[in-house]
Amino acid sequence: MADKNYYMDNAAATRLDEAVLEAMTPYFFECYSVATSEFGYSLGLEAKAAMEQARGSLAKQLGASPDEFIFTSGSTESSNLALKGVAKALGNKKGRHIIVSKIEDFPVLHSAKTLEKQGFKVDYLDVDADGLISTDQLKGLLGPETILVSVQHANQEIGTIQNIEEIGAICRQQGALFHTDATHTFKRVPINVQKMPADLITVSAHTIHGPKGIGGLYVRKGTPIAKIMDGGFHEFDLRAGMENIPGAVGFAKAAELVTDEENNRLRDMRDTIIASVLKSIPNVTLNGHPKNRTPQNANITFHHVEGESITLHLDLYGISVSTGSACFSRSLEGSHVISAIGGDHERVHGSLRFTLGRYNTMEETAFVVETLESIVKQLRIISPLGKS
Amino acid sequence: MAEIKVDVRGESCPVPLVETRKALKKAVSGDIIEITGTNPASRKEIPMAADALSVKIISDEQTAEAWTIRLQK
Repeated sequence: MADKNYYMDNAAATRLDEAVLEAMTPYFFECYSVATSEFGYSLGLEAKAAMEQARGSLAKQLGASPDEFIFTSGSTESSNLALKGVAKALGNKKGRHIIVSKIEDFPVLHSAKTLEKQGFKVDYLDVDADGLISTDQLKGLLGPETILVSVQHANQEIGTIQNIEEIGAICRQQGALFHTDATHTFKRVPINVQKMPADLITVSAHTIHGPKGIGGLYVRKGTPIAKIMDGGFHEFDLRAGMENIPGAVGFAKAAELVTDEENNRLRDMRDTIIASVLKSIPNVTLNGHPKNRTPQNANITFHHVEGESITLHLDLYGISVSTGSACFSRSLEGSHVISAIGGDHERVHGSLRFTLGRYNTMEETAFVVETLESIVKQLRIISPLGKS
Repeated sequence: MAEIKVDVRGESCPVPLVETRKALKKAVSGDIIEITGTNPASRKEIPMAADALSVKIISDEQTAEAWTIRLQK
């Protein structure tokens, strides 16, 4: 189809950095064994050392100790382990009440639904028009039975960053554990567990130009949590399964490669897209917090035209963006996030998410906005929703 | 030179465009893609797509029951 690709769906997946592949390669072809204990063979010891070095590096990026970082297969598994693992550890001891926000990504939302079916009581926090939860509502819901609160650091669709420090402090005061899904903030927004009162943090490599299939869960020392998958005694007996050593090495390398300078560049491109679209295209709405949003995210509703139609036409020009989250783009269902911030049917189906990454340029943003302007104008004329 | 027929009668947006894109990806240079549909907006969207991809529109006809657009890749 189009000769060049303008990829702006980096919240769904990112292009692997060559330096990451280079760091991973020896662990496929040279040091390919499982990680062994000190009583095992030398190749396994080397593999173990590489994995522990990666763990140490990633833990350091969070301000944590190496033994507080558990490797998983990605965000989905990390959040499943956080919610179901705490529920398993505390459900019969402390209580069976969990609180999550309405705009969590599916790993948290669907884990909460599963726990509800198992007899846990789950409360869902509302969000305001910018996507922020109300700490007053949280305070009102917390009780002696509350074992866990899960509120994402930033939203997967609209990029709004929650006030995690305040939310975590409230949970700590009430004796509830606090989990945050930092899939879209790790290395993009500062996170330091010495300052952030979170007990569990979900992170992933796939959003920072690392490999797919590797993620992590920060588990603060002393946090009651039980393993949810039977098998061996890997990952401090919290996550059974053969270690993904190339993945772990690649994840650590990917995290090391993200710089403040890169994040500032993403922020500039994001602001250019938002400002140019708002200026050049009438009847549009910026979704998410105008200031407290991730540097890589712009989410805009184009009224009187369907998001899926715009996405398809942009694709013909080689531009890759999504409507809502990646999952929605596959199912054509409306966005639960846009709905929760008060969006009507048209807005739920007419929002586009642009998420930037290392390989985007300012020149690309100009082409994307120019193409978008022309497509939206034409579609508004022919669309049944159009008000030309 | 092959002729690919795409029948999207009764389908609404974005299905006709999705099916047209699928056919265009499958086609090789010189192939004819004939799309038949009933959705009025799609009849206008498909020429937009043809323009974006520099694909030639051979004909665009409307009968009482349906429209038919013929493209050449």
